Amino acid sequence: MSESASYQHLPIRSLSGEELLLLSKRMKLSLTEEDMLAVQGIYREWDREPTDVELEVIAQTWSEHCKHRIFGARIEHVKDGVTETVDGLFRTFVRQVSEEIMAGKPGFVLSAFHDNAGFITLDENLAVCLKAETHNHPSAIEPYAGANTGLGGVIRDILGAGLGAKPIGSLDVFCFGSPDTDPGEIKGEDVIHPRGILRGVVRGVRDYGNRMGIPTVAGAIQFDPAYLYNPLVYCGTAGVIPRWAIGKKVEPGHLVIAVGGRTGRDGLKGATFSSAALDDTSHVEDQQAVQIGNPIEEKKVADFILAARDARLIEFVTDCGAGGFSSAAGEMLSECGGIIRLERAPLKEQGLVSWEIFISESQERMVLAVKAESLPGLERLAAMYETELCVLGEADGSGVLKVSHHGTEVCRLDNRALHEAPRQHRRSTWTTPSPDPQPDLSALDVAGTLKALLSDFAVCSREAVIREYDHEVQGNTVLKPLAGGCGDAPQDGAVLRIDGSEQLLAIGLSILPEWGKTDPEGMGLAVVDECFRQLVCTGANPDRIALLDNFCMGNPNDARELGSLVETCRGMAEAAKAYGAPFVSGKDSFYNYFEVDGQSISIPVTLLLSGMGIVERVEHVTGSTVRRPDSALVWIGPSSRDLGGSVLARRLGLGNLRVPRPDLARNLASYRILHKAIRDGLVLAAHDVSEGGLAVALAEMSFGEKADLLVDGDLDAFDLFNEAPGQVVLEVPLAAREEVCARFAGLPARVIGVTRPGAGRLLISGRIDESISVLKAIWKAPLAAHY
Amino acid sequence: MARPKALLFKFPGTNADGETDRALRMAGFLTEVKPIAVVDPSTLGDYRLLVFSGGFSYGDYVMAGRLAQLEIERRLGSAIRDFHGAGGHLLGICNGFQILSKIGILPPASLISNVSGRFVCRWVPLHRVARNNPFLATLPDDFELPVAHAEGRLVTPEPEDAAEYVRTGLAALTYGDNFNGSTASIAGLQDASGRALGLMPHPERFIDRHQHYDRDWAAAGHGWGHYLFQSIHDRLAASA
Repeated sequence: MSESASYQHLPIRSLSGEELLLLSKRMKLSLTEEDMLAVQGIYREWDREPTDVELEVIAQTWSEHCKHRIFGARIEHVKDGVTETVDGLFRTFVRQVSEEIMAGKPGFVLSAFHDNAGFITLDENLAVCLKAETHNHPSAIEPYAGANTGLGGVIRDILGAGLGAKPIGSLDVFCFGSPDTDPGEIKGEDVIHPRGILRGVVRGVRDYGNRMGIPTVAGAIQFDPAYLYNPLVYCGTAGVIPRWAIGKKVEPGHLVIAVGGRTGRDGLKGATFSSAALDDTSHVEDQQAVQIGNPIEEKKVADFILAARDARLIEFVTDCGAGGFSSAAGEMLSECGGIIRLERAPLKEQGLVSWEIFISESQERMVLAVKAESLPGLERLAAMYETELCVLGEADGSGVLKVSHHGTEVCRLDNRALHEAPRQHRRSTWTTPSPDPQPDLSALDVAGTLKALLSDFAVCSREAVIREYDHEVQGNTVLKPLAGGCGDAPQDGAVLRIDGSEQLLAIGLSILPEWGKTDPEGMGLAVVDECFRQLVCTGANPDRIALLDNFCMGNPNDARELGSLVETCRGMAEAAKAYGAPFVSGKDSFYNYFEVDGQSISIPVTLLLSGMGIVERVEHVTGSTVRRPDSALVWIGPSSRDLGGSVLARRLGLGNLRVPRPDLARNLASYRILHKAIRDGLVLAAHDVSEGGLAVALAEMSFGEKADLLVDGDLDAFDLFNEAPGQVVLEVPLAAREEVCARFAGLPARVIGVTRPGAGRLLISGRIDESISVLKAIWKAPLAAHY
Repeated sequence: MARPKALLFKFPGTNADGETDRALRMAGFLTEVKPIAVVDPSTLGDYRLLVFSGGFSYGDYVMAGRLAQLEIERRLGSAIRDFHGAGGHLLGICNGFQILSKIGILPPASLISNVSGRFVCRWVPLHRVARNNPFLATLPDDFELPVAHAEGRLVTPEPEDAAEYVRTGLAALTYGDNFNGSTASIAGLQDASGRALGLMPHPERFIDRHQHYDRDWAAAGHGWGHYLFQSIHDRLAASA
């Protein structure tokens, strides 16, 4: 094998727009004609032709995946005939809202948006962070490897946050087609059946998380035919860091070091691949874009990074994710400038050309900037933890990114040019549908409906999946995903103890794509409410909650689909602002649509809203399961006649009902009172009312099998099955029931029942009288049969 | 009374060293965690207890614990067996049990895929069979601990060996609910001296009551796992 650079110059200065677009397609750059013209302009100014390495770097840097250009675009939005200009979704609905909230809460958010994950204060010494990402396209064509490296990638984000945070817990959220989909219904040759996707994805997450020793503590699965062709896989990880280690800076003279796995041809062009639609050739043509995971390699890197951080040997660290070295080094050297020497990178195989080395997305690699005198110490640690380390280059203060290969310069880019992609201008529309009238539920078989809801894929137990994940490793999972008297009842969120602190981290999440189909703004409001409510129910202080937004959608070039995104953002921002919960991190994934038979099948706009909240003492940790046979049940119930988006409406085939809208000010008031009651020891259990409504929430609370639940409030079918935001059921000591209700004076809270010793029955308003163990068996069966 | 010293081995892929270290310290041990790359026969020095904690050493891509065993033999030769022969104590938890089984200090047995073929994370009732095991001295006959493994089904060279282990107490612990299909429900094994114990359940994950799934658990002052570490600590401290 010859020891020389392998690259070429590509003449683009004299090409027409059409020819430029052709070149972009041939090289799979995913750059538009406008982008290519901008690139051409830069090179005309520089009076030379680009190298292939440079074009690949620009394509990675400007890809939707890395640059989030749609969230930065200027959008002319027409809502019900009225035009408005949205000056960037991110700026308008995420950053501005968050900055306002942060200004009112000094010292709470320690870092947001610019690092790999945002940090909030845990106590005087420690900070916590949370980051979630999607790995949709890879999981669609190779479920196991796609999900495996999806989790591996977000764990590296945490390791690359600040000077290296310690990963302490993960979440995973999936959207799939229904597991009982008739295989004959699936169009497109190589599309994998949802059951195959489910099994592959769960095992991929399992094998990475368990081997890394990071508990997978929270999650959700949505089943909807809309995700048949474009399954969604969200992976998130939380971390903890000493506060001194949050800041990071590259300075001239620092060495640039790569540590971890070797570089190979796996994962070429993942960033640009995920910025385009899937079609039925994707399984063959894009296989190379899926990376191969090796969790033990990453575990060694994690041990190395944390030890190096504590020995104060790191000045800057980031992970190699999408775009590989090019985006890691680009990020690291974007201001300072410097040189990367490709021949220094250890390779999995010989014969990689220059651009392949620079943009390969081979997994388990981290890039560090360190002082020269730290090198011997780092080399000792690398030997100790058996991971490979190489000095890739150095920062030089020139502001220019230079890449050489065996002494030949193959790339020379002024970082200012690199980071200024042309701003997009887009159009979107949203027409509010007129909802169908409310159904007549007077003849509804309430007991039968409860059983049907418990066995619905939207509600049934996720135990088969949860038990495949080690959710207890590290020994800090205080509120587990399954808990209560029998250890198998669902909880509203997870709570993790943090080594070295009295305070704890709660993780919650909400995803309600069904709501957004008719009312995306209502969905945006509801997901923030639900996530926030879950965190308060588990014991978090409502003033110490931070949020993450992770969007997925179909085709942003479709004005109506983009309009739905705009409306979702609007609702989300309004609720976050009302609750004073800032966003500290977020991500987006576009082009989740599938082309087959000349048709384009898009997913609905899907927003995963996840959040972290601080629980200030372990005594505040509150589960969702009834604990005593002598308590009162209190319903904080802003009940509603609106069933839009509910599981009941879906079962009844009612797809166009009005979606319930929250009264944000009143909900926040009741969450504050709830938190105070938890602090004062007045709450034994708290469960949010979500999928399935009040009746399902009561059944789930009974699954600890410690008491009969006797509910006798004046409750009709709407009360029992609506899913309006803001609802919580509390178990409180009988003697405290009046005080608790008095605290909620003026808000819709009332005693609806009691718990008592008995044979294990759930009784509701004379209309439901069922055995708790039978209900639990109904709830446990459906998913277990398919997983 | 000098605090006994415990050494935790860390292989690439060992991941429960942090909480195991914490549990040992809480019981009173002085501890050290050492990556295998910096361990040699002289390292064992004045440690009283060697601990192999949970995780996936080298990924467990071949039989769980096998590569760790080979690495131990390459780096330490017979030092571990010598340590044991000279009266030292050894504890292997989960992956550590798998490693200890491979080293050959425990009675012949293998830990293979659970009958379900799946990884299982849950809590399980346990029964103490061994009468005089120094690790189990302060535990009651029946208690519970969390488990989390894919390869925990204990099998013996001959099926009747397992019954013999239970009869003689070499099967130190058995499951009250044999979820992984272990022969004779065996959850943990000791050697004839009782100085080496391997178990699949995770005592380090149940040190205090907040780690239990039931908020109202109050069967003992500490989590059951604490009593295992306390038992061996007290035994070693008393014989210092």
